[in-house]
Amino acid sequence: MAWFTDRHCFMLAVLLYGASTVYSVFLWRKGFRRDEWVNYFLLGTGVLLHTLAMTKRGLTLHSCPVNNLYEATTFLLWALGLACLVYALLPRFKFLAAFTAPVLFTVGVFALMPSLDPPHGPKPEFSGALRSLHAATILQAYGAFGLAAVAAGMFLMQRHDLKFHKLRALLSLLPSMQRLELITFRLVAVGFVLLTIGLAAGQQLPRHAGQPYFSDPKVIWSALLWLVYLESLVAYKYLGRPSRRFAICIIASFVGLLLTFWITNLFSALHNP
Amino acid sequence: MSVVVIGLSHRTSPVGLRERFAFAEGGIPGALQQLRDSGLATEAAILSTCNRVELYVATPLAPDEAFAALRQFLVTHHAYEGALGEELYSLAEPHSLHHLFKVASGLDSMVIGETEIFGQLKKAYDLAFTHKFTGPRLNKAFQRAFNVSKQIRTETNIQRGSVSVMSAAVELAEKIFNSLADHEVLVIGAGETSEKTARAMLSRGARGVVVTNRSPERATALAAELGGRAVPFAQWPDEFEKIDIAVSSTAAPHHILDRAKLEPLMRRRQHRPLLLIDIAVPRDIDPAVSELDNVYLYNVDDLQSIANEYLSLRQEEVARCEQIIAEKVAALLAANSYLVPDGRG
Repeated sequence: MAWFTDRHCFMLAVLLYGASTVYSVFLWRKGFRRDEWVNYFLLGTGVLLHTLAMTKRGLTLHSCPVNNLYEATTFLLWALGLACLVYALLPRFKFLAAFTAPVLFTVGVFALMPSLDPPHGPKPEFSGALRSLHAATILQAYGAFGLAAVAAGMFLMQRHDLKFHKLRALLSLLPSMQRLELITFRLVAVGFVLLTIGLAAGQQLPRHAGQPYFSDPKVIWSALLWLVYLESLVAYKYLGRPSRRFAICIIASFVGLLLTFWITNLFSALHNP
Repeated sequence: MSVVVIGLSHRTSPVGLRERFAFAEGGIPGALQQLRDSGLATEAAILSTCNRVELYVATPLAPDEAFAALRQFLVTHHAYEGALGEELYSLAEPHSLHHLFKVASGLDSMVIGETEIFGQLKKAYDLAFTHKFTGPRLNKAFQRAFNVSKQIRTETNIQRGSVSVMSAAVELAEKIFNSLADHEVLVIGAGETSEKTARAMLSRGARGVVVTNRSPERATALAAELGGRAVPFAQWPDEFEKIDIAVSSTAAPHHILDRAKLEPLMRRRQHRPLLLIDIAVPRDIDPAVSELDNVYLYNVDDLQSIANEYLSLRQEEVARCEQIIAEKVAALLAANSYLVPDGRG
């Protein structure tokens, strides 16, 4: 089975995310009325293949597979998918899978672009426990932010339906608005803690002489991201930011993260030694 | 031996006629005894509710003969002297069993899919069973009816959703708030519908009720009844800081709550979500308040249209339910244990 690489495995996972996305459209059109497991199963199988792909790559590299953009993106998606599967087990949260699948599919297709995964030597450029901790926690933080954005999207949909008296608000088997709001806040808080740990770990990593940590574009971007999420958390928890604005901020922050993640990575000398 | 049904329901007769033929619970064993003594029935059960009076009888007579005798029994028993036509329906197998299954599943109820009838039918059967008026036929038929009813409720959406204004309001609250246990309800105007809505909220776990009314006596009485507290009518806006659900049904000819009044209250509430149920006509709450963030306003028409939508969804499920019932009736009639329950046929 040597021809069946980890990329093939990931490709299959993305196909399943695609199938889940198509199925999600049907669920959406039906108003999320039936409590069923098809989407959860599709996404679960996708995450299983995704895990297999990452394990294969990790075993080949003998380290955590977070050494280039492809690997970083797949790790982010894996964290998002896994968190979604766990949260979807909560009562009335099964449809989280339907909202997460489109994100996994679109970003997954993007990650498959060959230029994001250049061949590297027998050993990756990065290695060591601290590097793995740095990359893994930051990417898990992005996964948590992603899931928070998904929950925020569900919140906005529920809010819109209730505000404008759409029957879907009552017919759909979605959680209450207050519960969605709480989950969004908790996910952002978890993501923020992980991001803080990841950034702190990054600062401890050895660097070439003349490479200051805080002038690297990726580090500046990450620090900005850290500030954006901190502001969202503080404004919501202590300054009375309305739930709708909080949800919009969380979605906008994650969309911004997805759109700028690769660009800042390309310009980072620390991440492209 | 076959099972027949004779009776009248909300579909065929007005309430005035139904109440003439109603059986008091205490009188049912006596009536069943009369049926047995007359040789009309070997087994019998009487279902008497506000929407229907029905006799389920296992009889050795031919259906037509049994119908005439049962009709006479009803008229005599209730000393009814008026004319009776289509109001009284009579059904023989398999239609009688089909009807029993429909009744048990709430398909023949005034509000399709309601579950109260299941309990009433079970009670009627238990009464007949306890007094030994049922036998193999009716036992089998009723037990199968209860099973079919459960299957229909599990496999179809026949009982899904709120079909009354009060339950629609509760469902809305549960879509906004995680649990009603953390939220207090303010009742403005101690009318009957707001009282029922408050009771429905309490039954779903609402933390408490605050009642206000122009006449303080009525507010105090209702608050005591609901286990809540009463506040003077002039002070109800002060309660907005604490409550999250308000049900309004005053007789005021103008809006008692408008955007200008609610805006500062929402600031004091730190923009926590607020569900406003306005069941007054003319309306108590200015529709413009729904433009405020985190304010969810529903008036009586909104709630009624939710209830109607649910009803029409239930109607759509009827065909599926009918199919299940037809299959189960056919299976029951084909079963040896039903046809030859005690080896005598």
